[in-house]
Amino acid sequence: MITVRVPSPLRSYTAGAARVSAHGASVAELLAALEERHAGMRFRIIDEQDRIRPHIRIFINQSEVTTLTQPLAPGDEVHLICALSGG
Amino acid sequence: MNLRWAPLRQAITLRQAIKLRQAITMTLSDSERERYSRHLLLPEIGVAGQEQLKAARVLVIGAGGLGSPASLYLAAAGIGTLGIVDHDRVDLSNLQRQLLFDTASVGRGKALAARERLQALNPDIDVQAHEIRLDAGNALDLLGRYDCVVDGSDRLATRYLVNDACVLLRRPLVSAAIHRFEGQAMTYVPGGGPCYRCLFPHSAEGMVANCAEAGVLGVLPGLLGALQATETLKIILGIGAPLLGRLLTFDALAMQWREFRFTRRVDCAVCGEHPTITGLQPDRRRLSPAELRDWLAAPAARGGAPLLVDVREPAEYRLSRLAGAVNIPLGELPGRLAQMPADRALVFICRSGGRSRAACDIAARAGRRNPLDLEGGMLAWAQAVDQALEVAPYDPRPSDAATVGAGP
Repeated sequence: MITVRVPSPLRSYTAGAARVSAHGASVAELLAALEERHAGMRFRIIDEQDRIRPHIRIFINQSEVTTLTQPLAPGDEVHLICALSGG
Repeated sequence: MNLRWAPLRQAITLRQAIKLRQAITMTLSDSERERYSRHLLLPEIGVAGQEQLKAARVLVIGAGGLGSPASLYLAAAGIGTLGIVDHDRVDLSNLQRQLLFDTASVGRGKALAARERLQALNPDIDVQAHEIRLDAGNALDLLGRYDCVVDGSDRLATRYLVNDACVLLRRPLVSAAIHRFEGQAMTYVPGGGPCYRCLFPHSAEGMVANCAEAGVLGVLPGLLGALQATETLKIILGIGAPLLGRLLTFDALAMQWREFRFTRRVDCAVCGEHPTITGLQPDRRRLSPAELRDWLAAPAARGGAPLLVDVREPAEYRLSRLAGAVNIPLGELPGRLAQMPADRALVFICRSGGRSRAACDIAARAGRRNPLDLEGGMLAWAQAVDQALEVAPYDPRPSDAATVGAGP
């Protein structure tokens, strides 16, 4: 099981939850699993060309994700980081 | 000098300039020695460091939630020249977090009111009020007058403008942003690490709500703004380890700080190996409600009527819309742009101008020439043209799973 930390701009998809769990052996699988439970969430993270959106960064534990094929291990924590604009 | 700074020394001309200024004129008066006595006790600062602070020039972008604590601490710390840029006026809803202002300030220009407050806090420093809207035409000139920039703006477009200007001018930038209970901060030093565009390559205006749209815990910018002031002082003094290549995030509900490392992108559009941004581009042209009204009233004068594309969610569109506007929610726009006649001008419309701006970016990237949008959206139209118009509130939860929009 992977723990996913959800940034506040995406919490409308997780009923306000800041942390959700899902299975997945790669980032792509994890996002697919998230989409099943939280419809619409994946499209806010990944664009039509399957690229990470430019205002989103994904980290596995503290390491940056560059491709969606990046593998995940049980117990990993995935952080979704969203550009914030408020000042 | 902390060892982590050593590789940066060559790249940092800022501190050399400050030291030169310090050597020429900056000695502390007796009252300044008393005012800054707790700094002078710190071996990392001392008299020489305090003189460096006095010789430094720092520009704070935005006298808002972040700019308030940042500028108050920088003024208190004795930054010799402190600039505040903000074109807005103080609103009652600002007072929940913008500690530069009080109830009597409501309605006043923010930059001037901030100047008064900061000058009262510390009459020994020079506070410059810049009551202007920062844009591509004035950013290089204004930022170029300062040694270091603190970004507390409330718009993503301004964040990219400020970042690009700092990279082009080789000025350090201390950036922070907030949303509801969450904050993030990073520092850019020329030659010392990645810039804001390395982290988030380009703007996603309309997908990222600001404080006015999403709300914010009042104390949150206090924490992040104080952090920005801390970083600024460290950069000027050359002490400690700045947030270079480190994104610091804060979750006030969990009371957790986290740090994420990121690196400079060789393909970064502004600081990469082959930058495509070598100057600041003017903001894309936007239509005021009066301009759109006049265009619709006399289309022949502008070569024909535009196609009005309302990019709000269907529920918002159903309540009220401009005559003739078609509804294509922002999330569906990329797939439906090809359906739009290539020979017709496009004008995108949303509630307050965030999503329509994003729609223009999408259309421009898809090759549409000169897409336009209604500045201020339906709310501005209702205020300026049709006061009877009722504008639907924005629902942050899109009704359609395929919809992107999270903006106004």
